Amino acid sequence: MRSNNKKLSGWASCWLAVNAIPLLLTIGLMRAQTTPATPGLQGSGSPQTPATPSSPVQAPPGFIPAAKPMVMIDPAHGGSESGAVLNPAILEKDVTLAAARRLRGDLNAHGILAELVRDGDITLSTDDRAAKANSEHPVLYICLHATSEAGGMKIYSAMLGEAQENNGPFVDWNTAQSSSLASSRSAQQQLAAAIQKSGISARSLRAPLRPLNNVTTTALGIELAPTTADVSQFMSADYQQNMAAVLANGIAEVLSSLGTNPGASR
Amino acid sequence: MIPRQFLITITLLFGLSIAMSVYVWQLQRREAAMPQPAAKAEHVAPPTSGPMERVTVYVAYDDPGELRPQSISIPLESGRQQRAEGLLAALISIYTAKNSPHPLAAGAEVREVFLVDPGVAVLDLNSALVDGQVSGVLAEELTMASIIQTLSTNVPGLTQVKILVDGKQRETLAGHADLSGFYEVAQVGEVAKELSP
Repeated sequence: MRSNNKKLSGWASCWLAVNAIPLLLTIGLMRAQTTPATPGLQGSGSPQTPATPSSPVQAPPGFIPAAKPMVMIDPAHGGSESGAVLNPAILEKDVTLAAARRLRGDLNAHGILAELVRDGDITLSTDDRAAKANSEHPVLYICLHATSEAGGMKIYSAMLGEAQENNGPFVDWNTAQSSSLASSRSAQQQLAAAIQKSGISARSLRAPLRPLNNVTTTALGIELAPTTADVSQFMSADYQQNMAAVLANGIAEVLSSLGTNPGASR
Repeated sequence: MIPRQFLITITLLFGLSIAMSVYVWQLQRREAAMPQPAAKAEHVAPPTSGPMERVTVYVAYDDPGELRPQSISIPLESGRQQRAEGLLAALISIYTAKNSPHPLAAGAEVREVFLVDPGVAVLDLNSALVDGQVSGVLAEELTMASIIQTLSTNVPGLTQVKILVDGKQRETLAGHADLSGFYEVAQVGEVAKELSP
């Protein structure tokens, strides 16, 4: 009799333990989902859920952190992915990294915080890049590319329609940019205008260029181009300095119109 | 004690598996010994039959990075799929010709076009087209916009286009233009407007 009771209580403990785990997990999830949105958010105010398991919880569109406006610069390609071979000695991945480092320096000189998605020759997938940008909550994400075709800079926004349906806290990874598209297109026009003011031709286009679609904040792609057919100018200090200065001025204008204070400290 | 019937069954099955292995091994040897057929040479040939028709194709110009509508006369069959194949063959032949405004490598072609109702087209490009594509955001966008805009203008009812390369999914055309998803025809129309002179 006693051994039967012992067995019964043993089975009951096992049953409770097995059922307690999912119960606790469910309660934890519910509490996480009902946590209030981060202060300083603009837009819908509802928290967004990342579509990939690797990405952290993302900020709603139009996220503008009050104390730390930061620009995320993404030098495209890198590591095993060289991008375009601009000439046998110059790879796109090296041009974008050099330009990104220059741009970061110039933005810092304007009092604007800037970070690089990669600061070395490493391979990153476009999903990794978007996940990093979304987790850092920059006010502006800029993806740098380079082409051998002369003809001025091209400023790209995502090739998407604006968000129409509200999926609550869930965001489709492939169209995560939709809610920030209006802001991105406005920034695109402003940046192109600012670049043109400096005497360099700039063109605004939308493009099927990842990871622009996956970024939840204002996001632009910039394709640098040589001013002549000579691609080697990409590696000259003068060219890089000039391009970085022009872009930094344009970005400062864009940020002021986005309502951020470039001078604010982190 | 193992029953006799069981032992007989196991022995028969074991023998059968040995025989099957020998048969498969022989098949493999025979297959390896056979001359390998050349890579599948099927492609979308320019239409040789059908009435001549005047159509608008959207031709990419690398300099100055534009997409220009151009009216051409080509023989087109009445079937929707044959029409799509004929159109794309005519378009690609512009790019592989001498003095092309947007050069693609010789041998570039659209291998197959599948029109899937409702409104979805799946295009299978060959590797010659993709390998010879100039890498760059604008250069790749011009190729995609030219193909999709030409197709959607002349084959009514298309809403989405999916691009494959040699029958397989691919991330990008040449490092930039995204091929992982479906292209919305309406969005490509907007791009075509931005790229127009």
